[in-house]
Amino acid sequence: MTTHIMQKLPYGVGQWSRGAKVAMAIALVIVGVGMFAYSRQLAQGLAVTGLGDIGTAGGSAWGLYIAFDVYFVGVSFAGITIAALIRLLNLEQLRPVARIAEGLTIVSLVLAALMVIIDLGQPGRGFVNLLRYARPQSPFFGTFTLVISAYLFASLVYFYLDGRRDAALCAQRPGRLQRFFRLWAAGYGDTTEERERHNRTAWWLALFILPLLVTAHSTLGMVFGIQPGQPGWYSALQAPSFVVLAGVSGVGLLIVIVAVLRKALRLENQLDIRVFRWLGSFLWILTIAYLYFMIIDFLTATYSGGSREAIIFGALISGPYAWLFWLTVSFFILSFVMMFGQFAARRYSISLIVIAGVLANIAAIGKRDVIVVPSQTHGTLLPYPPGAYTPTWVELAIIIGLFALGTLLYIVFAKVFPIMEIHPGRHEAIPHEEEAGKHWRDGRIRKRMFILTLMVGIILAVVGFSLTAPLGPTADPMYSEPRIQFAPLMFVAGIIITLLSPVVYELFPDKREVS
Amino acid sequence: MAEETYNQKGRGPGREITRRDFLKKGGAAAALATAGLVAGSRVFAAEEPGAATGVKYAMVIDLNRCFGCRACMEACKVENNTPEGVFWMYVFRFEEGRYPNVRVSYMPRPCMHCDNAPCVKPCPVGARYKRADGLVATDWKRCIGCRYCEVACPYSVNYFNWGEQQKRQYLDWQAPEAEAVRRVTNGAIPPYKNPDLEGAFKPEERYIGAGSHLKGVMGKCTFCVHRLEKGLLPACVATCPVQVYHFGNINDPDSEVSKLLHSRPTWQLLEELGTRPRVYYIGGTPPTSELRQIEVVGGRKS
Repeated sequence: MTTHIMQKLPYGVGQWSRGAKVAMAIALVIVGVGMFAYSRQLAQGLAVTGLGDIGTAGGSAWGLYIAFDVYFVGVSFAGITIAALIRLLNLEQLRPVARIAEGLTIVSLVLAALMVIIDLGQPGRGFVNLLRYARPQSPFFGTFTLVISAYLFASLVYFYLDGRRDAALCAQRPGRLQRFFRLWAAGYGDTTEERERHNRTAWWLALFILPLLVTAHSTLGMVFGIQPGQPGWYSALQAPSFVVLAGVSGVGLLIVIVAVLRKALRLENQLDIRVFRWLGSFLWILTIAYLYFMIIDFLTATYSGGSREAIIFGALISGPYAWLFWLTVSFFILSFVMMFGQFAARRYSISLIVIAGVLANIAAIGKRDVIVVPSQTHGTLLPYPPGAYTPTWVELAIIIGLFALGTLLYIVFAKVFPIMEIHPGRHEAIPHEEEAGKHWRDGRIRKRMFILTLMVGIILAVVGFSLTAPLGPTADPMYSEPRIQFAPLMFVAGIIITLLSPVVYELFPDKREVS
Repeated sequence: MAEETYNQKGRGPGREITRRDFLKKGGAAAALATAGLVAGSRVFAAEEPGAATGVKYAMVIDLNRCFGCRACMEACKVENNTPEGVFWMYVFRFEEGRYPNVRVSYMPRPCMHCDNAPCVKPCPVGARYKRADGLVATDWKRCIGCRYCEVACPYSVNYFNWGEQQKRQYLDWQAPEAEAVRRVTNGAIPPYKNPDLEGAFKPEERYIGAGSHLKGVMGKCTFCVHRLEKGLLPACVATCPVQVYHFGNINDPDSEVSKLLHSRPTWQLLEELGTRPRVYYIGGTPPTSELRQIEVVGGRKS
């Protein structure tokens, strides 16, 4: 085929329009306000928040920060799921939103990591001590190894490898971003061989990430679900319902972002109703599944008459949290009815689907809040008086600032990299800078290097984990110190190196000058 | 495990290498998962840490003697310099029934120092840990301030240091009455700063005393580990005017607590949760939802 050099980079890449600049300026200002609020918190401690001690002080030790951390992790559900559906089930209709969803995953995981750090009383120690002493008995271990490290890194690797072809295409056009694209493409030539190789890695990577997705969201649910000391949390449904609620918020937010990009970049042709129809169907299926979980949970808690569960549910249904609880429930139902109605009538409207997505997200945030807070203020097992929790401006400013930061990151992402695949069907011939030499032993070195990376990663992870986990006869069943310090770091590094092996496999140069 | 299957690399047609490799990866993942399961099952194994050897502290609270004077709360605050609104020891005053058939009862609530402590399990960095002598300790030099122990504790005995602590005692220094205190004591005694709270404690050499109530770390009852080290009783035990508290080594059959536990019927708070507390109650009844708390002491939240 002819070498096709674009006149302009596609999808508004590199063109900083006025709209984008204004949006970025506004986002920057809000981020600044959030940073100011955080500086107050750093200086004066968490006393500037509305949080307080459970029990005699009648407070809530975890509040909006934790609720939004759970929300941000939940939103990250979208990217990997879409990628997996495309790769494993060949759902080609969703292909146009694949990269948009991956971008959402990466940005939301970055926000989630920041949210955790912001929630800590000693953020500086948090960085060091988690890598130094982390214990697998704590549900937080899963959150920070599986969610923050493995999930984020796997998404980055998937995103990077999937974007190489477009980077190579964009690198053909001279411009300020050319060097960046060339670096990204790393010699990608879009040959049949390279395409096959990429399809193969992407398939395996998707297969690898899918169980990670379930595990990661479940561990987050278990942060709450396995605590017998808090009525309202202690439930076997907690982990699966976290996975489903993650899907509701992730797909819902993805719909909103796709709609915004469609308008902003005039992609009416590429992002047509079919894409929205698919996403909308996922949304209603996940929403009804979540409503089902809620009903089961409600029946279990109220029917048996356990007094402590009853107090929590009383606080939700007719107590101080009733307004938020019923708002949440009605938004879930409204979102479901709007989507299911369109599905049943076989007539779809993009604006209605977007509204359903927004409602689902507000409901998801509200639900996280009524999971986290009431069990602390009203669920004390000893007869303490009921407490209350009202967030202060600092908490609100920091959270809004994080949303603004996310928007900012997303705009930058959309402006430096095409948010959709360029001519996905077409085979582009990309001329090579380096003169192609002979194939050097049919890429055996590549395979060896790949296996080496993989094995180093796996061995590091296994060794790191066994040095971290309480194994062996002397291990205390309840408490553990890592066998050597920084063993958790070894485990995380092992995971990251394991996930780097597909990059090695795809990038390792095959062609060598024959000397 | 994974290393053994690895020897086959480089054999066979190159095309299959990724698939075979994936299987190896899967094998390693399975090994990891097994390791995780083993580790996980050990979490739930019901073993008694440090059983039957050495010292193991326990506290017995005789509710028949307690008349709710709350002197123990005050002693704890003075001894450990806890900030305003923080009650590592708290005494409930309960009321039950309707006038004229009203019954009043009291129940002190220290940290239960559970053997199967719900706060130790989820601590992500091992700052909260169980010692061989039965104490549940908080290493305030390692704590990262995530407050997981606080939400996990069914007894709500944890108090977080939300802000910088200037005041060391339960006294508002801006209030007019503070001036009177200052004049009486010549500014010398309050704020009393206990010199024993900081520093490392044997045998782990970790910072588990009450500390300086550093901003952003967790605090709770230490069973006055700094006093135990010197052979003294915890401050609440030592100060109680009617000897509600009995404290000692449960592994020693001749100790007061052992004798009491063998001679009197005892109960523990929220036994059904399986936390196995080191604090036993004799006399009285476990609190029920019929009880109303009266004369609540709250104080500042931060």
